[in-house]
Amino acid sequence: MADLTTNLGGKLTLKNPVMTASGTFGYGFEYHKFFDISQLGAVVVKGIAPFPSHGNPTPRVAETACGMLNAIGLQGPGVEKFLHGEEYMPFLRRTGATVIVNIWGKSIADYQDVARRLEADKAGIAALEINISCPNVKAGGIAFGTDPVLAKEVVSAVREATSLPLITKLSPNVSNIGEFARAVVDAGSDMISLINTLTGMAIDAETMRFKIANKTGGLSGPAVKPVALRMVYEASHAVDVPVIGMGGICTGEDAVEFLLAGASAVAVGTAIFADPYAPLKVIEGINGYLDRHGFGTVAEIVGKVHN
Amino acid sequence: MRQGTIINNVRLKDDYYKVDFFAPEICASARPGSFVHVRISGCGDHILRRPFSICNVNESGELTVIYKVVGAGTEALSRLKSGDECDLLGPLGKPFSRPLDDEVPVLLGGGYGSAAMFMLTKESKTPGVALLGARNSKDILLSAEYRAAGFDVRISTDDGSDGLKGRVTDLLPGVLKDYAGRKLHFYACGPMPMLLALAGLLPDLGYPESELSLDHLMCCGVGACFACVVKIKADNADGFRYARTCSEGPVFRADQVYLEK
Repeated sequence: MADLTTNLGGKLTLKNPVMTASGTFGYGFEYHKFFDISQLGAVVVKGIAPFPSHGNPTPRVAETACGMLNAIGLQGPGVEKFLHGEEYMPFLRRTGATVIVNIWGKSIADYQDVARRLEADKAGIAALEINISCPNVKAGGIAFGTDPVLAKEVVSAVREATSLPLITKLSPNVSNIGEFARAVVDAGSDMISLINTLTGMAIDAETMRFKIANKTGGLSGPAVKPVALRMVYEASHAVDVPVIGMGGICTGEDAVEFLLAGASAVAVGTAIFADPYAPLKVIEGINGYLDRHGFGTVAEIVGKVHN
Repeated sequence: MRQGTIINNVRLKDDYYKVDFFAPEICASARPGSFVHVRISGCGDHILRRPFSICNVNESGELTVIYKVVGAGTEALSRLKSGDECDLLGPLGKPFSRPLDDEVPVLLGGGYGSAAMFMLTKESKTPGVALLGARNSKDILLSAEYRAAGFDVRISTDDGSDGLKGRVTDLLPGVLKDYAGRKLHFYACGPMPMLLALAGLLPDLGYPESELSLDHLMCCGVGACFACVVKIKADNADGFRYARTCSEGPVFRADQVYLEK
């Protein structure tokens, strides 16, 4: 049995390197009936803004080859309800899970606002993940994630607002991922996570309509894994902070590929929709791989891919 | 036998099939209106689960689903044989309420929506009424089974090929007349336009507590992804909120459904 403990740059220590990707695991509550969610490296909850949000009109999802498009549009309860509503943070605290809160807003002031309120009531919150990469909301989200100057401004502002460890989630919808990785690390991000979804589209030929009301959506699932691996590899060479890799991970072997590419930890997302137990199977799979290859820790394989 | 093993998978007629899964754990807590979320084997590059209303369960742990082949998932399911295995999650969703002893349950089924309400025949002490509506006679399902359960079955079809020519809602005046003085409780499942029409109609007829099973393109099935939402009345500036049909529904009270102006 390998030691799966994962130290992320001295800022955050996880019992294993497997998290859930924001937006695919609700607020943890929904999956606790299937298994004890404190077994996960971390639970990354669905995006929290300073305000409650309706999200987008329906239909919001469409299945595509080996994946899916979504344009949920960050429906959420808002930070007050998240902190005090029984099924949100109070529930998560009781489970003993390591909780990472994904945050978003429509303006830089919004990001600061939500970070401050989580800072003030941070009991049980291990880190914040700054979402500057949601492709499905008009204001905020990806607008900050596809302009390196704005990305830097958002992260600097959040850095001022909180002492919690900061992860910045990067968009793959850019031509030079290294530039964005460097910008957010310069601005004070302790870690980076990637990839968010790839902007895509699906059309129903018979009805001649968009399959998603928002017209475009974010592509996720096994279909995006090669793109995600390439970007994790590039980003991990651009910065020397820990990288959390995600994009199409379904199995322990998928996760190991991300670790070899340079990720220090991974997140499971869309695979959870197909199998709620997928994150646990990924933990077991990583452990089995390390044992089989005679490695004692996860860190021993991080970035070890070679020709 | 493992949970999710197919016992039988047969064509009923046209594109409609009936599959029996071995699923004793799910059967033990299944209720009318609840559903199973199925990972269909042999689905190729389609990775998501498909939700199906539970039509019936029995003491041997057999769970029956009636489905129509409409796309890749149901097409793959229709090819599976006895002994093949699927992965089932369930029972999921908020089910219909149990009919009260002094109530006559009136079920409104559009197309194969009649399957989602069939278990109410077992929970009802009083034989009820089943109003089955569809485009044509080919799409009327379970009429014999509802009759065998002692229900007063009335049929409508858009083209008049079976029963009354018209919509299922056109059968309501006759029921209200024939059951005058009895306490009625309405349950409905079917296409969204039919359910929205009922959400407008039933509260006005004095039945705000009528129960409608709404669904929308579902993804996780457990309330995590917020894909399958419908508009439900809410006390906020917009007058509505998006509620998840998988976990807050699929069953909602008729007077809770938000209707576009």
